Amino acid sequence: MTFTEVLRANQSMVFSMAYHFLRDPGAAEEIAQDVFLRLYRKMDDLEDARHVTLWLRKVTSHRCIDYVRKRGSQSTVALEEVAEPSIAEERGDPLLNRRLRRLIATLPEKPRMVMVLRYQEDLTPEEISDVLEMPVPTVKSHLQRSLTMLREKIERSMGDIR
Amino acid sequence: MEDFEQQLEFERKMTNALARKPQPPTFEAKVFAAIATRQSRRGIFWRWAAEMAAVILIVSGFWMRYEHEVRERAAGEAAKARLQLALRVTVTQLSKIQKTVRNSTEQE
Repeated sequence: MTFTEVLRANQSMVFSMAYHFLRDPGAAEEIAQDVFLRLYRKMDDLEDARHVTLWLRKVTSHRCIDYVRKRGSQSTVALEEVAEPSIAEERGDPLLNRRLRRLIATLPEKPRMVMVLRYQEDLTPEEISDVLEMPVPTVKSHLQRSLTMLREKIERSMGDIR
Repeated sequence: MEDFEQQLEFERKMTNALARKPQPPTFEAKVFAAIATRQSRRGIFWRWAAEMAAVILIVSGFWMRYEHEVRERAAGEAAKARLQLALRVTVTQLSKIQKTVRNSTEQE
């Protein structure tokens, strides 16, 4: 398992986590680069691919949350103005997808990262609990509340989405 | 049941919305460039640290030699002062003896 192999296998995961969390392609790229630089120094301590993936998810989550907290009240790019990375083929309705991503971006940091890990990475609440170092019931509660809130908002703004 | 299906459908839409995005095409090259820059910076730092260590060693060598010379000189000065004192004491004693001898010779 060389660094290049790990980078190629995980760059999309790390960049996407940061992008979906921050909705800022420049900041997402900066954070993803920093995560891989840290990985380069840490490579010898990581035993296998599973360990590397868990480490990458942990470090990316914490770097993203720290980034938002440090940025604090500084002015940010308006979500409506964000240019999305080009996607060859997007599953589902692109307009609905964009609307959902904007709504997810309005969630507080921890629930937002829980949603990214659940729906981007398809992790179980137990796996999310490992990554974010929070109890499983808290993860489940964030998921439940965020889903309810997002459903209500999307139904209000677009009607029944069925 | 209908609500459960609606929930599943909504979760499927969430999965679509949060599907992985491709990283920018230059991402990999930028990571390798950043690693190279960091390594080169680290190389510059270690060269600078080695040069500083050499300078510190040379300066401390000179300082230790200077300190040794100062101590030697001080020890020499102290020995000289002790010798001068001993000579003065001896001269004084000899003068007293000479005076005593002279007095006794004159009395005879």
